Amino acid sequence: MSLIDLLRMSSGNLKRRKLRTFLTVLGVVIGTASIVVMISLGLGMQKSMYKQVEESGGITNIDVTGKNNGGGGVIVSSDMMHQDQESEKYITDEAIKELSKIEHVKMASPVLSMSAMILKGNYEGYIDLRGMRPEALEEQNIPLIEGSRLPETKTSNLELIIGNLIPEMLYEKNTGKGYWETGKLPEIDYMKDSLFLILDSDAYLASKQNGTSSLEQSLGKNEGQGGNQASAKAPKKYVVHASGMVKGDLNTYNSHSYYVYCDLDTLIASLKKEYGTKPIPGQPTTKSGKPYKEFVYSSACVQVDDIDYVEEVSAKIREMGYTANSNAEYLKSMQSQFAIIQAVLGGIGAVSLLVAAIGIANTMMMSIYERTKEIGVIKVLGCSLKNIKQMFLIEAGFIGLLGGVIGNILSMLLSFGINTIAGSMGSAMGFEGDISYIPIWLILASLGFAILVGMAAGYFPALRAMRLSPLAAIRNE
Amino acid sequence: MDSWSYGVEVKEKTHGFDRCRERSSEVKKIIEAKHLFKLYRVGDSIVRALNGVNFSIYEGEFCAIVGTSGSGKSTLLNMLAGLEKPTKGEVIINGVHMEKLNEDGLVKFRRENVGFIFQSFHLIGTMNAVENVALPLSFRGVPKSKRMKIANEMLDLVNLKKHKKHLPNQMSGGQQQRVGVARALVVDPKIIFADEPTGNLDSHTSEEVMRLMQKVVKEQKKTLVMVTHDNHLAEYADRVFHIIDGEIVKIVDNREQGKEESEESGKERKQ
Repeated sequence: MSLIDLLRMSSGNLKRRKLRTFLTVLGVVIGTASIVVMISLGLGMQKSMYKQVEESGGITNIDVTGKNNGGGGVIVSSDMMHQDQESEKYITDEAIKELSKIEHVKMASPVLSMSAMILKGNYEGYIDLRGMRPEALEEQNIPLIEGSRLPETKTSNLELIIGNLIPEMLYEKNTGKGYWETGKLPEIDYMKDSLFLILDSDAYLASKQNGTSSLEQSLGKNEGQGGNQASAKAPKKYVVHASGMVKGDLNTYNSHSYYVYCDLDTLIASLKKEYGTKPIPGQPTTKSGKPYKEFVYSSACVQVDDIDYVEEVSAKIREMGYTANSNAEYLKSMQSQFAIIQAVLGGIGAVSLLVAAIGIANTMMMSIYERTKEIGVIKVLGCSLKNIKQMFLIEAGFIGLLGGVIGNILSMLLSFGINTIAGSMGSAMGFEGDISYIPIWLILASLGFAILVGMAAGYFPALRAMRLSPLAAIRNE
Repeated sequence: MDSWSYGVEVKEKTHGFDRCRERSSEVKKIIEAKHLFKLYRVGDSIVRALNGVNFSIYEGEFCAIVGTSGSGKSTLLNMLAGLEKPTKGEVIINGVHMEKLNEDGLVKFRRENVGFIFQSFHLIGTMNAVENVALPLSFRGVPKSKRMKIANEMLDLVNLKKHKKHLPNQMSGGQQQRVGVARALVVDPKIIFADEPTGNLDSHTSEEVMRLMQKVVKEQKKTLVMVTHDNHLAEYADRVFHIIDGEIVKIVDNREQGKEESEESGKERKQ
């Protein structure tokens, strides 16, 4: 019997019993839809998580930190893992060279993180300043507002890229009240107004404690002179301009929101000028308190050419004696967690598909009892046993397919509904992205699974049909 | 006859059968039953449905097996058609030992050599007349357009030109049985088995159907084996086997007019 004839007969049999077919299919629809929607929720979570990771510097990045140089302001963005092992080496220019020689490393560039202060009018605030090389800054894919550009390198003036949540960090100098208390943001146009940057915040605080009056005096002086060194006590205030701002308002957060970026070389030059022979805070010192000859960075940013090699490269970096953190490794550990979540969600959905499978088996059984005579007749007329089995398997598979198709349409509608509702609610809560996500493979897999379940449920009824004695079937009652 | 030519094509991979066919065509013995026994266990007792049956049927013959209900005639037919296995004995059809085939083999054998006419027609209720007739061809893998063409010709042959698109429940019993006859003929079988073909018909229609069967069998040179309890209908047959309590007691040859030849069971008719 040709396949097309088998299909014709099977579909004909289903058409014959429309209501029963409909009810059985309905079971599969519910089963498929519940599996697909459940898994889509897990996938949506995973996807938004991926997106977040992608925003926080990409998944091919490795954050390399060296021996803790004891200084404040060393902030590692993703310090979730591998922090237990203490590294033995500092990140120096030599280390950067070494790192960039590793296979599959596209780029290795140093990062200097430090705490600094910015001043503007009556406001001041602590910031995390990150000095990076221009090519590394570019790789960060920082979303910038219009009119922004990355800081220029090899200039005497520091240029900043200010995170979109930095305005929250400023507080009033006299009252010490910030945005969280007053609910008001200082009226500063970061892109146009010039700011003061204080690199040596310790000295600034010390001078502040010495006497606010003298500070204010010197401040006024400084403003007039445009950033020249004022007094021996007060640290140098740099007049800086923002070359860009991170995109977003106060409700959007990304990994750049609380950082201020600047050019690394310019920053180092400024630091060296400021401290002269004194040890720069954050730099390791010898026992006698003198700084090392080499400049020590707080971390290095290593770019790997492909996500597949991230783990390998990280391992090598660790072998070399550094601490390495990568989003890819983090993702990997997350992936297994998400796999569990999806399995649990899918399992919950699968229960309803199991019930549907029992429904299919029942329907097929009924249909075989009903058609005992017919099966007998076609057996007598020479329909092979294999064909009879196939006929019923196809019939059961059809139920699965039909249920799968309708179930997928239903789950797409549900997913759309969920996302619309969650979208309107989510934007108010500062949450972006879809909760439910149905990729093509999920559709195909669920279709295949529905057919498989249908056929599995129809297998024993089909065997039964095959084994029916033609004699009993055609006996005249 | 043009319409039968496809039969050669669909004899796929049956060289074994073909060789047997050649041999049997020399002897012209198409069905042979040797020492057939069938025993049923009913509770503690054993019922002998067939008790040592021997006979032969020759190619192109129209044979009737006549007996009362419970005489074992239906069991005999089932055994000849390979629907039931004998407890003991041999059934040789067209040179093939039926008792040695497994179920798949039996189905295959039926598909290729046998046509069936049932008492209660057993047409598929959801298919119209043409589709019903074409059904056995689909089991052979004949493409739809071709089998529809052949089915149409068959329905013409049984005088059902007007009812081709009718469903079984839109036809009278006689019409349905004529569809049944067409369905049996459509596969160009060597042998046609008919189990009480007129059992559900009134006497007038019965006559019609019997005459049709007689005519078709003659024209197409088929071997027809019919089971009936009606002595009158058996008169249409060339030879009549009378069966009582699982034994053939009498074989009547209607072709030798007036001269009745009878034999004891267990002896073979010599030619």
